[in-house]
Amino acid sequence: MAAFRLVSKCLKAENLSSAHFTIFKRLLNYSTVEYDEQRDPRPSFFNKDIQNLLRTLTRVDLHKVFRRRKLGDEKVRDPEYKFMTDEELQEALQKAQQKANSLLQIPPVVPARKPISKILSLDPELQGLETSKMVFTDITFGVKDSDRLIVVRQPDGTLCEAEWEVKNRINQIYFPQKGRSVKPPKMFQGTDFEDLLKRQEYEFILDCACIQFEPNDPDYQRITSITYQHINDNNGFDKLRSTRHFGALTFFLVWHKNIDNLLLELIETCYADEANSLIELYSKIKKVEFEKTNDLSMIEHYIKKCSNKKGALELALQAYKEMSHQKQNIEKGIKTAHGMS
Amino acid sequence: MLPPASGTGIFVNSSEKVIRLLRQGCTNRPFFHIRRKNQHRPVIEQLGTFDPMPNEHNEKLTSLNYERIRYWIGNGAHVSQPVEQLLGLAGFFPIHPTSYMTAWRNRRATKENQEKSISVEADDKNEVKQ
Repeated sequence: MAAFRLVSKCLKAENLSSAHFTIFKRLLNYSTVEYDEQRDPRPSFFNKDIQNLLRTLTRVDLHKVFRRRKLGDEKVRDPEYKFMTDEELQEALQKAQQKANSLLQIPPVVPARKPISKILSLDPELQGLETSKMVFTDITFGVKDSDRLIVVRQPDGTLCEAEWEVKNRINQIYFPQKGRSVKPPKMFQGTDFEDLLKRQEYEFILDCACIQFEPNDPDYQRITSITYQHINDNNGFDKLRSTRHFGALTFFLVWHKNIDNLLLELIETCYADEANSLIELYSKIKKVEFEKTNDLSMIEHYIKKCSNKKGALELALQAYKEMSHQKQNIEKGIKTAHGMS
Repeated sequence: MLPPASGTGIFVNSSEKVIRLLRQGCTNRPFFHIRRKNQHRPVIEQLGTFDPMPNEHNEKLTSLNYERIRYWIGNGAHVSQPVEQLLGLAGFFPIHPTSYMTAWRNRRATKENQEKSISVEADDKNEVKQ
């Protein structure tokens, strides 16, 4: 949409110079959208009501949560069958639910971090001592990766705190985390990334991004935002249902006022209650009030007030209304045929 | 049996203790552990590492366990000169005078080399003119 708007603006201005061409050639792909600190998403995201709504929209299906996954390092095991009493069965189900809850924890949504530029001391007398940088890491036991003291002595004698990129690399060298590599893998860049998007391997991309980067990393936000935009444009919502990333996707779409495609999909697949909770989420995050007189009034009001795709949404809603009306009629007919009314 | 890399933790109270570099790498690939040790006895504790070969980002990596270094210095351990220089560059100690001297000597050497090369060039030009 952004690309479309820019193109139309350019056409209005009627000066399609080469500079403009390069701009929208880049924008025809997706551009990065970061959460910034001026409009901090944290208070809304960590709100309990909003977390509950995001969980409802995830539409948890335990069969999908505990499905066989492409992890590569675990061998496939045969399922175990057990005889259980009713109480034991309830206990086991509860345990499974707890495990599912921990598996479905939504990755945190935080603003992108700011670059570090803290100079600790200037010693120009040390020029010529070293031709390379010296990186000093504090490996004291029990310090968090984010709090670890990492300083760099530059060849010109300046002692400064290491940048984020160096910090991450050094932390991974001295305190390796499983699944993370020192260099970010190629799958997050260029044609490899585009190819993954084309093949709709959304969950794989997002899982790998979660392992490789911290959530406040600009690279993480670039990858996730581009993936979310791609999902939104290609209607790939079903690929993320019952995974931990669906909440983050919904929050992203609501935060950037771009929920029309998701709403359309929900109405078309007859999940009116979920559509309602999506509108509720929108009103809570964006602080907009919608009328709540009957089941579908909130959706209608949203379509009138804030939607960009009014035509398609109204049509879908009309179709949904007609279908539910027909359903009621059929049920009534069946009841009368059975002599129950 | 070789003592573990993290040190044995066994020591005699009365013996002198030194925090020093201990060469661990193989041929043409030096790598150092920074360790507390008394000579002719196994290592007491490893306090860090130092890799003198720059990596692909042109960085020399050093790791230091500041907490344990503080503890051992508080218990009267001596620090060898190379380790003193490293700690000086890390901003943990004041910068060692040897570091200043080496830096100054390196600067002087590069300056002399430059002057030499300039004078050689000038001589070459004069010869061509003649």
